[in-house]
Amino acid sequence: MRQGRLIATGAMLVFCLFAIWQSLLLSLTDRLGPGPGFFPFWLALTGAVLAIALMISTFREAADPPDTPRILPHGPGGRRWFAIVGLLAAVTVAMDFLGFRLSMLAFNAALVIALGERRWWLVALFSVLGSFGVYYVFTTWLDVLLPSGRLGF
Amino acid sequence: MESLGHLLSGFAAALSWHYLLYAFAGCTLGTLIGVLPGLGPAAGTAILIPLTFSLDPTGAIIMLCAIYYGAMYGGTITSVLINVPGEAASVVTCIDGHQMARQGRAGSALGIAAIGSFIGGTLATVALVVVAMPLASLALKFGPAEFFALMVAGLCLVVGLAGRNILAALLMTVIGLLLAMIGLDPVRGAPRFTFGMEELFDGIGFVPVVMGLFGVAELLLAAETRQARMIEAELKTWLPTRQECRDSAGAIGRGTVVGFVLGLIPGVGAIVPTFMAYVLEKRVSKTPERFGKGAIEGVASAETANNAYANAAMVPLLALGIPSSPTIAVLMGAFIINGITPGPFLFTEQPALVWTVIASFFVGNALLLILNLPLVGLWARLLKIPFSYMCCGVLIFCVIGAYGLKQSLFDVWVMLGFGIIGYLLRKLDFPIAPAILALILGPMMEKSLRTTLEISGGNFAIFLDRPVALVLLAVPVIVIGFILLKPRSVAKLRESDVE
Amino acid sequence: MLIRRRTLLAASAATAAVGVASPAIAQNYPRRAVQLVVAFPAGGSTDVGARILASLAEKDFGQPITVVNKGGAGGQIGFTEIARARPDGYTLGFLNLPGMNTITLDPERKAAFTVDSFIPIVNQVLDPGLIWVKGDSPYKTLADLVEAAKKAPGKISACTTGILSDDHLAILMVQEAAKCEFRIVHFDGGAQQLTGVLGGHVDVAFDNVGGVFKRVQSGEVRGLAVTDVERSKFLPQVPTTKELGMPTVISSSTRGVGAPKGTPADVVKVVETAFLKAINSAEMKEKMDAVGLALKPMVGAEYAKYYADLQKQAAKYTEWALKMR
Repeated sequence: MRQGRLIATGAMLVFCLFAIWQSLLLSLTDRLGPGPGFFPFWLALTGAVLAIALMISTFREAADPPDTPRILPHGPGGRRWFAIVGLLAAVTVAMDFLGFRLSMLAFNAALVIALGERRWWLVALFSVLGSFGVYYVFTTWLDVLLPSGRLGF
Repeated sequence: MESLGHLLSGFAAALSWHYLLYAFAGCTLGTLIGVLPGLGPAAGTAILIPLTFSLDPTGAIIMLCAIYYGAMYGGTITSVLINVPGEAASVVTCIDGHQMARQGRAGSALGIAAIGSFIGGTLATVALVVVAMPLASLALKFGPAEFFALMVAGLCLVVGLAGRNILAALLMTVIGLLLAMIGLDPVRGAPRFTFGMEELFDGIGFVPVVMGLFGVAELLLAAETRQARMIEAELKTWLPTRQECRDSAGAIGRGTVVGFVLGLIPGVGAIVPTFMAYVLEKRVSKTPERFGKGAIEGVASAETANNAYANAAMVPLLALGIPSSPTIAVLMGAFIINGITPGPFLFTEQPALVWTVIASFFVGNALLLILNLPLVGLWARLLKIPFSYMCCGVLIFCVIGAYGLKQSLFDVWVMLGFGIIGYLLRKLDFPIAPAILALILGPMMEKSLRTTLEISGGNFAIFLDRPVALVLLAVPVIVIGFILLKPRSVAKLRESDVE
Repeated sequence: MLIRRRTLLAASAATAAVGVASPAIAQNYPRRAVQLVVAFPAGGSTDVGARILASLAEKDFGQPITVVNKGGAGGQIGFTEIARARPDGYTLGFLNLPGMNTITLDPERKAAFTVDSFIPIVNQVLDPGLIWVKGDSPYKTLADLVEAAKKAPGKISACTTGILSDDHLAILMVQEAAKCEFRIVHFDGGAQQLTGVLGGHVDVAFDNVGGVFKRVQSGEVRGLAVTDVERSKFLPQVPTTKELGMPTVISSSTRGVGAPKGTPADVVKVVETAFLKAINSAEMKEKMDAVGLALKPMVGAEYAKYYADLQKQAAKYTEWALKMR
């Protein structure tokens, strides 16, 4: 975990440095006191210092024992992980064009299959209910607008 | 007491079968709204407004209020079962509630939540009856300076409990505060850190962030372990055990007080009291290391505070006509559309209506308990569904939840992004709670400081003139001093983490 | 009775697939549900007025009118949404003036729309500004307040419901007319104003009649002046700024229905007729009276002129406000 923590803290440090830069572009003072850039600047500065301190402290911890699990997902579990992330991204991209119902239909089917389902009739039923069915309930009864794409779905 | 007389006649009216029916319908609908994503209590209440047009004003208000505190409870169900906060204030319940579910104690968690909510709500309503008017006027004295001090104190309390990971907790707090600065700044009203994206003008959405950090991250973690069901452990009990109830008694008591007091202050919002109650509970516990791993006191305190807050927030609304939060503002709008304008004059103009409504709060709280306790077993059964379908189902709801708020696909991306971030943070043992609280408190802190300075004309000395603010600002000083000067308690705390 | 509404989007894409808004559409307009975008959160006074209007106009309109709240950024998010919508008449918007004007006039806001991005169709409400203080405040008249402000420039605090709101502009107008200086405090909405003034933190509030009038009537707060040319029928006892010798201090919040630029004229006409009828109905009057909102229906040239005039007035004071930053 130590390596992972170092990388994560490093990322936070970069974030803070970026925030320092961005807040310097805003005015730090205002006629009444702190300007829009004031708090972000000092916060980001504090954050950068904390991040460096944390990195040093992490570095001084014992090195990871050899059987420490890897941070990034891998193996069969990793495949599931990537399936979820990938399909979520795909459905978000597709929703604008295909609309909620069609993109969710594809998402549902693809995801449950990727997670191991093989009973086709159940997959199909679930996919339809989880897209068209859900759409109907939310838009007709609950007045929650869900996107329809260019194709009308 | 004159109020008692009014209250009794209010009860007589509230228990009439049609008002009972409205309260029941409201509780049911409210719970559903709390469970369903994409439908925060504000939006859900707004949708149900037309439903009340055909009712008489009293009935309409009874129903709308029931929907409101019903929604507060409904959010608990998803928090415990699938780690997705049904509505933003339930996020604290996720911390220990879901861990309890993982241990097969979902029944206990949901049960104690129902019991705690009932007790908290009822006691808050009693207090409302007794002290509504005088306390309401007192709460008005709480101005921007005091508000700022309260927010600072709140943030320090959470950080001060960081235990072993104090550096990490501080860093996460700072990052949370930085993220909170995205949006229109309170100084000029101009966009800050938005990189030209209008979607960010209102800040990075709290709900998508929280849904990602908790709900999606949980799914990612579970997927990696390739488990067959969402929760592997068998459901041990349907209801909390006697021992668990006894353990929670103190938590419920403290949660009620915290929730009620903060509910009187307009503008605080529901998340702050739940966090404060949780943190307070952890502070007074003899075994704080259990928090974050399924401590029932964690759930009890958060849920009790939640409901106590919801009922107490009615005080500013009824006594002063001031809505405490956006959800209550919707409620107030609903009242107005139905021809009732809340305010102090309401007590004198329409006493029967007001007291019937207050009586129905008691009725509603009881109804919620009766409604939800038996259903606990049912909800917990849902977890038996195979992981693949459960995961997909939860994701469908998360997508709707993130999108439905502002009809924005950008929010869905935010949710996904923070899902991955949450996954990594959990794996690497970084505490998430401080960042969440910072995200909420950050904007409020900056805005109230700015308003305070506007009032004082840029003079920081205004804080010296205001005793309440000074007291509150002393809290962080005390907390930090405590940490540095009491090594034994510090050692105990260091064993635990605010997860 | 739960009013079932069909969503607009379902069929809008179908229309899009068929073709862009064409004159032929107007004859068959409206064919399906119409969206009314409100740029403020549910429950606020804008939203309340919009929902009442939508439910009344639906009857003659023939199709459901769904109110959609797209709040945030002082209305900017919602207004952008309206400006960018397809101009086929199926997305209408609720225009808040001068809120919308000041957004376009503040360069830092980088608004994605201008006043010309919208076609003003019919105005519903004109909520005049109200200057009020706590019921037991030492200031009994506007003159008292102004005098105090002159004696202690920059010390008397006056609050608004938001930066660059109509309240903000009203304070600047008073400062100009009376040659005094207030300490301006910006809150987020009316609820905070109430807390601020009733709690004794701020001296005076610049607000609007609707929403506060009941408190004036009950004596909880004292109305010092209405910033309009004639007295408000809800508060007949409160003098106008014109009467009090400040005829340039005219400020109000107007809300009406508009459509994105490019919406065909005959579609606009259909919308105008239906909504105007709803606004003039007895039921609308009754509901609006209950909430203290004054109806001021304006259509066509009258509304367009008001719209343009308001932009000019807003420009002047917004510039001043921006200089003060």
